[in-house]
Amino acid sequence: MKALCLSDVSRSFGGLPAVDGLTLTAPAGRVTGLIGPNGAGKTTVVNLITGLLKVGRGRITVGERDVTEASASALARAGVARTFQNIRLIADATVLENVVAGFHRHETTGVLSNLFGLPSSFAERRRLEEKAGALLERFGMTAFAAHPAGSLSYGHQRRIEMMRALAMDPSVLLLDEPVAGMNDSEAHSLAEIFRDVAGQGVAILLIEHNMRFVMSLCTHIYVLASGRLISDGDPEEVGRDPKVIEAYLGS
Amino acid sequence: MKFFLSYIPLFELALFNMLLAFSQYVVLRAGVFSLGTAAFAALGAYTSAILATKLGMSPWIGMAASLVLGAIAGALVAIPLARLRGVFQALATLALVQIMLSITLNWVDVTEGALGINGIPRSVGLFGMFCAVVVVGYFLAVIGASSIGRAFDVIREDETVAVSLGISVPKYHLIAFILSGSIAGFAGGLHAFSSYSITPNEYGFHMLVMVLAMVVLGGRVSVWGPVVGAAILTVLPELLRGFQEYRMVMQGAVLMFAIVFLPRGIVDTAKNIWRARRVAASEAAKTKAVTV
Ligand SMILES: Nc1ncnc2c1ncn2[C@@H]1O[C@H](COP(=O)(O)OP(=O)(O)OP(=O)(O)O)[C@@H](O)[C@H]1O
Ligand SMILES: [Mg+2]
Repeated sequence: MKALCLSDVSRSFGGLPAVDGLTLTAPAGRVTGLIGPNGAGKTTVVNLITGLLKVGRGRITVGERDVTEASASALARAGVARTFQNIRLIADATVLENVVAGFHRHETTGVLSNLFGLPSSFAERRRLEEKAGALLERFGMTAFAAHPAGSLSYGHQRRIEMMRALAMDPSVLLLDEPVAGMNDSEAHSLAEIFRDVAGQGVAILLIEHNMRFVMSLCTHIYVLASGRLISDGDPEEVGRDPKVIEAYLGS
Repeated sequence: MKFFLSYIPLFELALFNMLLAFSQYVVLRAGVFSLGTAAFAALGAYTSAILATKLGMSPWIGMAASLVLGAIAGALVAIPLARLRGVFQALATLALVQIMLSITLNWVDVTEGALGINGIPRSVGLFGMFCAVVVVGYFLAVIGASSIGRAFDVIREDETVAVSLGISVPKYHLIAFILSGSIAGFAGGLHAFSSYSITPNEYGFHMLVMVLAMVVLGGRVSVWGPVVGAAILTVLPELLRGFQEYRMVMQGAVLMFAIVFLPRGIVDTAKNIWRARRVAASEAAKTKAVTV
């Protein structure tokens, strides 16, 4: 069980601050919300946490470990998984292949067995495909296993992103607008899954514009505007905060 | 039979080109834009030729040495190049070809300079070449289906996704370079032992363009890509023998055609189409079942 903590994290682009002195905690076993108008800096926060962007100032920790300077691949191997707002799948590969890619950090076959095609290499492939199959079933996507990922609707592609992230069996899961463009019933079925995942001790940070979705899932919500934290609290507190209402109407 | 015999040199050339194309394929599959295949092949060819003619060593030792030196050269190149991508990788590895060329041309004591090395005992024939292609192809197919192939595919398609899944890009680029170097080194060794003589210019810019064209035309995901590309680009010039001077022009034209109309290459495009058809067919079967 590991919590994600940011303390006083900042990052600017060409002198313009995109994230400015952000402090937040996403505890294990909870869904924590991060909301804010367009351009508030939410995706930048995810990129900072995952090491795709270098932190300008401040500290990021996962559990006890300081990961401020860690490389993106080291962070992923340490159990930080994410989805991409602008969907990044291997379009030509099948849905199953895309999900199997998510298991990389759990692959145990050594380089030499893979190079020489030892039975363990084939056994691992079968094992991962079975595990991927179980994820597909959970997301109601079994029928699409052999489809090229790029041929599916956005809703389905977002689900593949989530399956790939869950395949990593993460301790921290960052979801960047996972239900954008989905209808209420689709979003509802995903909310069930997120609750489940959090219930197993994962710290989830959820970025989402769909307010009803955020309010129903999160125990704590942080509100970002122009890179700064303007409000945080439980869903009710945040919903009542005049600064939040102003930030959304003003944008 | 006589007809077949007259084509043996062509078949041998095609098989040699397939090995070179495998070397180019494995780096491109991993998203490494290396042009170093010609340099690794030259290293292998000269290693085998020198061991055979100057030290009288057996072809087996020569080819093993070519393979091992190719692998070492691949590893040595991969480390300083780890930070480079795309066109910068291409330029750095192009420099490697230039360096190899100037060594083989100018280190006359060892390489005999522009005259090349002659009198290499011919000990590899069509059958040996064929076996080498089958073994290397099988080996690459096995690797491609393993965890290594999966990592290569993700890195090639989207490096940001790759690192976000915990894939160490430098590690897999190193593996790709070692494979590429050892396959090309081995191919060079085989070539030396199947052709009596080698010269520096065989392993120059022309080879580099040809090998690249083969993989771009054939495809860089399936192992059949380099096989098909090499077969076409070896046989085509023979069919157009009257236009020998236009060989390079034709290769350039094929390369451009492939990039514009078949950016994924013949084999991978065909595979994608076949896959889409099969999915469409199973969909159609389902809807039918529902309506009935
Ligand atoms: N790599 C980058 N280089 C330069 N500027 C960037 C970069 N990434 C983000 N920005 C800028 O940082 C600011 C915050 O962008 P970000 O994408 O984090 O917002 P967001 O809250 O995710 O918005 P949205 O709701 O539209 O997804 C924007 O002004 C954006 O232009
Ligand atoms: Mg965003």
